[in-house]
Amino acid sequence: MFHTEEESIVTMINHIAQNNVSAGSESDVADIVENHITKFWSRRMKKILSEQLAKGSETFEPAAKLAAERLSAKISA
Amino acid sequence: MLQHFDPNKDYGTPASLSEKMVTLEIDGVEITVPEGTSVMRAAALHDINIPKLCASDNLEAFGSCRICAVQIEGRRGTPASCTTPVDAGMKVTTQNDKLAKLRRNIMELYISDHPLDCLTCPANGDCELQDMAGAVGLREVRYGFDGNNHLDAPKDQSNPYFTFDASKCIVCSRCVRACEEVQGTFALTIDGRGFDSKVAAGQNDQFLDSDCVSCGACVQACPTATLMENSVIDMGTPEHSVTTTCAYCGVGCSFKAEMKGDQLVRMVPAKEGDANHGHSCVKGRFAFGYATHKDRIKAPMIRDSIDQPWKEVSWEEAIGFAAKRLKDIQAQYGRESIGGITSSRCTNEETYLVQKLIRAAFGNNNTDTCARVCHSPTGYGLKQTLGESAGTQTFDSVMFSDCILVIGANPTDAHPVFGSLMRRRLREGASLIVADPREIDLLSTPHLGTATHLPLRPGTNVALVNALAHVVVTEGYEDKEFIAARCEGNAYAKWREFIIEERHAPENVEDITGVKAEKVREAARMFATAKNAAIYYGLGVTEHSQGSTMVMGIANLALATGNMGREGVGVNPLRGQNNVQGSCDMGSFPHELPGYQHVSDSVARARFEKVWGVTLDDEPGLRIPNMFDAALSGEFRAMYVQGEDIAQSDPNTQHVEAALSALDCLIVQDIFLNETAKFAHVLLPGSTFLEKNGTFTNAERRINRVRKVMPPVAGKEDWEVTVELSNALGYPMNYSHPSEIMDEIAQLTPSFANVSYEMLEKHGSLQWPCNDEFPMGSPIMHTESFPIGDEGKALFAVTEFVPTTERANSRFPLLLTTGRILSQYNVGAQTRRTDNQAWHDEDILDIHPHDAEERGIKTGDWLGITSRAGQTVLRARVAERMQPGVVYTTFHHPGSGANVITTNNSDWATNCPEYKVTAVQVEKVSQPSEWQKNFQDNHERQNKFLRGAASSADAVK
Repeated sequence: MFHTEEESIVTMINHIAQNNVSAGSESDVADIVENHITKFWSRRMKKILSEQLAKGSETFEPAAKLAAERLSAKISA
Repeated sequence: MLQHFDPNKDYGTPASLSEKMVTLEIDGVEITVPEGTSVMRAAALHDINIPKLCASDNLEAFGSCRICAVQIEGRRGTPASCTTPVDAGMKVTTQNDKLAKLRRNIMELYISDHPLDCLTCPANGDCELQDMAGAVGLREVRYGFDGNNHLDAPKDQSNPYFTFDASKCIVCSRCVRACEEVQGTFALTIDGRGFDSKVAAGQNDQFLDSDCVSCGACVQACPTATLMENSVIDMGTPEHSVTTTCAYCGVGCSFKAEMKGDQLVRMVPAKEGDANHGHSCVKGRFAFGYATHKDRIKAPMIRDSIDQPWKEVSWEEAIGFAAKRLKDIQAQYGRESIGGITSSRCTNEETYLVQKLIRAAFGNNNTDTCARVCHSPTGYGLKQTLGESAGTQTFDSVMFSDCILVIGANPTDAHPVFGSLMRRRLREGASLIVADPREIDLLSTPHLGTATHLPLRPGTNVALVNALAHVVVTEGYEDKEFIAARCEGNAYAKWREFIIEERHAPENVEDITGVKAEKVREAARMFATAKNAAIYYGLGVTEHSQGSTMVMGIANLALATGNMGREGVGVNPLRGQNNVQGSCDMGSFPHELPGYQHVSDSVARARFEKVWGVTLDDEPGLRIPNMFDAALSGEFRAMYVQGEDIAQSDPNTQHVEAALSALDCLIVQDIFLNETAKFAHVLLPGSTFLEKNGTFTNAERRINRVRKVMPPVAGKEDWEVTVELSNALGYPMNYSHPSEIMDEIAQLTPSFANVSYEMLEKHGSLQWPCNDEFPMGSPIMHTESFPIGDEGKALFAVTEFVPTTERANSRFPLLLTTGRILSQYNVGAQTRRTDNQAWHDEDILDIHPHDAEERGIKTGDWLGITSRAGQTVLRARVAERMQPGVVYTTFHHPGSGANVITTNNSDWATNCPEYKVTAVQVEKVSQPSEWQKNFQDNHERQNKFLRGAASSADAVK
């Protein structure tokens, strides 16, 4: 149970990472998370994710954070 | 329509499946039929119609009435043709003086104890007894009517849909046998012996109080007016019929809508229905009264604010009002500020049009469907592993299963007609494994095989399926040949390495699942060693935070044991609503165009752009929960909702209500003022399935025709309204019939390429994929290869068990799981407006005796149920079928507020809500919750607004 949209976005990316933890290294897991978000998340969700990353949210899991960084870089490019 | 047999004819006994043919002679005619065919059926197949009363071709031969006696050369006596199988060289005589006299004598005895009120009898003209009396030439009853008889036997009128008039009963046992053989409930019996024999429901209970589930099989089977629909008693016999598809549940039963003019008299299950073969449930058979209920919305309505009364307007004004609002909002807040929701209750054609409207006319991908909250994990999980977002089998396939694994599904309640077929297979000896927190009715069904219940804790599915697969692999039950030939090697190796880890052993997950390790091992062995093992699952799999993982785990288990690509096996999602499969197929999800073609696929997009004449967005749009969040942030301002009630069905009701209240324009198209419509600015009258043409796709991918039997109450079929809205928005749509929409679907959707109304008329139904590769459709999928990867090989998926964050603790010590019941359907908008209320007029909280005792709770007490999301109040029922620590309720009544307490936790891959796990506390209370009080106030206010609109319109007229 979460209370804000920002909280839910970070929870969701962490959740994707947790459910794919068996993929291998942190980078491998991040690949899956990145692909999943690219394929299923809307622009708006990706934007909120980038904003949360930029704010320095400390609730990201490592693989989720790595994926979020890659996605943010793509958005800014 | 292609038919091997005339579905309107009763051949007396079931068809033999033997491939060996036997030739015999009946009345001098040489006849060749499969071995095992009865003489009666062999004769009927060649239009030699032997009189019969106790025989029916959906029941095993019984041989009690003796009317069907024949003579066979070289054999003594006059054997019953229904119980006598054909023999090579047999010479049968069906008509001669001796047989005629015998039949007349038998009929005379029947009629001597039968009321001679044919002219005032509701079955007059539709009575087999009457027909047979004529056929045997009965002209007198020599015994008189003064002796002992049953003519004063009382009527049982307890059931709201049919009457049992014992005075007309001939004790042929067809009703009793239909209850056993067709429905599998065993609610009826023949009580007493000899002259005292009579049909009884249970222990001489009233029908309504007995185990009878009102499926109608007994009414269908009755050859007299003993069991008769009340609608026929009231209205008389119908004069024409139209075959169509039921709009309840994912079984998709075919029915004959029997009519008098434009009035529906009764729904009779169609024998030629490929999904139901002449069977039905209480909803499809009887609960159609909502179509003509006084609450139907009969005119379009608009209002500026949800705090204002409705104003009844013309279609033109309502559509114009809606279009202007949508355009103004987009002009002010941008292209992505609006969106819509398609309906799993509407037709494929209507769903296709709504998503087309959103993508082409709105110019964004903000389309979603209620499958989001039910089977979206099925779409994801099966696509990832098997390459196609659909179940692999036909319903009939279960008749070849030797082991049936049911996970998180309750087929006898939620998919009753398929539940009956499953019960039939269990009676034939298939073994049954049920993984469910509750002890579902299927476990107590009479059967010849083994029944194993794995009563797992809510939220632990993945741990259980991993444990089952662990046993399969570590005990050497893998189908190595199948895996080598049909599965991708690297993915398999990776999965195998994962699944053999000791942490997945049943002994090591026993504390997680609560299921004894040895029971899990036994179940795994039973599944793996069966010749054909099939998995059936429902929302108890998908509506979890690991729903998608569990679907993949199910696919892994089927692949590992080689149970794929033939009859009797496979992975079978039991879809909740009538067109969940279709709504997903038709591109309702924000990331997929029709046929599951991703919006980022430039080749697929180009094909749609060419036909639709617009440029399409290549990014996924908003899902339903994202729409709510965006509405609350002010970025999403308008929504078009066709045939869904998100305010009642979606989780965390207070969050949903706040989001809907924040919209500048909510357009609801529905047959009633549903909960969502109370937040709407435009209310467009919807049409029921009886009022339109189209198709539904059921859980076995079967595309079935929906045919209009009466005009829409407000003059328009749902697809016509979407067309008009699109035209008003400046994006032209030009269709004169849903068949033209299907032609466009076929043009753009590879799996539907060969589907057309012409093909459907010819074949009755088609199962996709239906294209050049599979021109007649695909009853069983993946027989040769999987539509995934370059090599067409299935992909095992690593299924890590990640426990839900929604956990019980000292504040919320119980786990709530929600579901549905036989007599009500989904949000209940339809069934609550029928006599099905007789069985379930309120949602109840089931609680285990131990939990009840701890809290001093008795059945009937009012209970406050509090979760992290909210509180509601329901009445208690202390129920042994629950396990300690788990409580259960349904969500069929809006005032119950079942979703006020469900949380916004969701599946990691699809956002499907975690309805099946909510930590709650339960305590005795004396008044409704605050939400319920507010609900009641708003309910009364909004209904007043609606009544005001109707009366002001009347005043104008």
